[in-house]
Amino acid sequence: MAFDALPQPSVKAPKVAAGLIAAAVVLLGVGSYIGLFVAPPEHFMGEVQRIMYVHVPTAWNAMLALTFAFVSALFVAFKQDWKWDARLEAWLEIGVVLSFLLCMQGSIWAKPTWGVWWDWDPRLTTTAVLCFAFVGILALRRFVEDPVKRATWSAVATIVAYVDVPIVYFSVKWWNSLHQTQSTPQTVSSAMVTPLRINAFGILFLMIGLAILRSQLARRKLASEMAAPLPETANVGGVA
Amino acid sequence: MTGGIVVGGWEFVWAAYGLTFLALGAFGTSIALRLRAAKRQSAEEER
Amino acid sequence: MSLPMRSPAPVAPVEHAPLPAPAPIAGPFAQLAAAFRKDLLLSWRSRAQAMAVVVFGATALLLLSFAVGPDAASLRRFAGGFLWVALLFSSTLALAESFRAESEQKAMEGLLLLPANPVSLYYGKALANWLQLLLVGVGLLPILIVLYDPDLTRLPALAGILALGSAALSAPGTLYAGMASQVRAQQVLLPLLLFPLVVPVLLAAVKASSLLLLGDPMGQAGSWALLLAAFNGIYWPLCGLLFSKVIEE
Repeated sequence: MAFDALPQPSVKAPKVAAGLIAAAVVLLGVGSYIGLFVAPPEHFMGEVQRIMYVHVPTAWNAMLALTFAFVSALFVAFKQDWKWDARLEAWLEIGVVLSFLLCMQGSIWAKPTWGVWWDWDPRLTTTAVLCFAFVGILALRRFVEDPVKRATWSAVATIVAYVDVPIVYFSVKWWNSLHQTQSTPQTVSSAMVTPLRINAFGILFLMIGLAILRSQLARRKLASEMAAPLPETANVGGVA
Repeated sequence: MTGGIVVGGWEFVWAAYGLTFLALGAFGTSIALRLRAAKRQSAEEER
Repeated sequence: MSLPMRSPAPVAPVEHAPLPAPAPIAGPFAQLAAAFRKDLLLSWRSRAQAMAVVVFGATALLLLSFAVGPDAASLRRFAGGFLWVALLFSSTLALAESFRAESEQKAMEGLLLLPANPVSLYYGKALANWLQLLLVGVGLLPILIVLYDPDLTRLPALAGILALGSAALSAPGTLYAGMASQVRAQQVLLPLLLFPLVVPVLLAAVKASSLLLLGDPMGQAGSWALLLAAFNGIYWPLCGLLFSKVIEE
């Protein structure tokens, strides 16, 4: 298993990341303002529906983050490039944070709407399972000390877990359909699309900016891990 | 549907938005701080 | 300062008998069969351990029945679910056990030195694990019947669900056990990785088992069996492909 040389942390990357994050803050500010104060309340759900303007963008981006993790895992498994291991670490962490956030948002939305904190909605339940799965992979990375093994194994685990996503979704949907007919609303009226899209791009830019920074952090940690030990002052030649 | 219209619920909206931006902000700050610590550490190692 | 070197005294070449031609490397299926036999043999030799796994599962079934209480109707309703929870817990023990020889006695290096490809090793081990999990499941049935009093008319079909479900647990379980066995925190790592992954297996197996044990007016058990078969169809090839990356040094 040959991993090539470690890429140097870049100087430009953090500036790009900062720019993206700044843009994201603006977008999220605008999108949330519109969603909270300008968009009309929905007929049945009233003001509570406004949670959708953060919930749906989080959902799209959480799935995207985990997909980026999957792509990084494929590169790590088949190209053995440290750069991609750093990206894998970044996208795993971001994916977990967004998935967990998604479950909490879903809970906050469910309580006033259905009266319970959890309604076993297939998409949210799949997200919860995914969150556990990817937290497990982060734990795997913590427990493995050898960098090559860590990279390879977490890539394998990510591939296996990602392939499971549609299976989990389908099985939960089917399992649930026999019991309940309620589900989170899918259709969004056109007046509501604008703040949704703005926030979606906001979280997207934020996520990419954070991934760049997190990947730089991962590279630095790898570099210090694999730094050659200082040469001992040795008895050169002669007999000890 | 449970039937009937949900009334009010602004506290849930604030909770959701507040949680989201707090979590994202805390996460971003954590990355920034960790990155700064790593930069400082590698600068020390090079000395 | 160099040590005085002496050139080696000339030695007359000794006549050896001609070496036999090297044995041909066995084909992949033969390797698989050999790995399968080896793992079963090891399990048989430590069959007290295997018995202990069944006892652990039985204890789990007992404790779960206490969680419900002595209400016969509730117990019957949860029989299918508890069977699979107990089997899932037992599987972590059985799967970890299957790599114990490799991790404790450094047999992993020995395996890698053999001219055997990792894929055959994986399938041999995974098949052996499947058989063992199936036996654990079958071993749990008597306790299930006594404690939970389910309807027994569709027992053969239940055995089929046990076979499909234990196969679905064995495929990713063997892959993850291979990883976990090489790490210090192995006991927590295997369930941590495996349990979220096999949620569809649990759902499908529990649903199918419950239908078979309680009555299936609309004949849905077959569809859940299909889901289990699909999970097997995806994960047996995938995990075999990925296993070589897990045991490379």
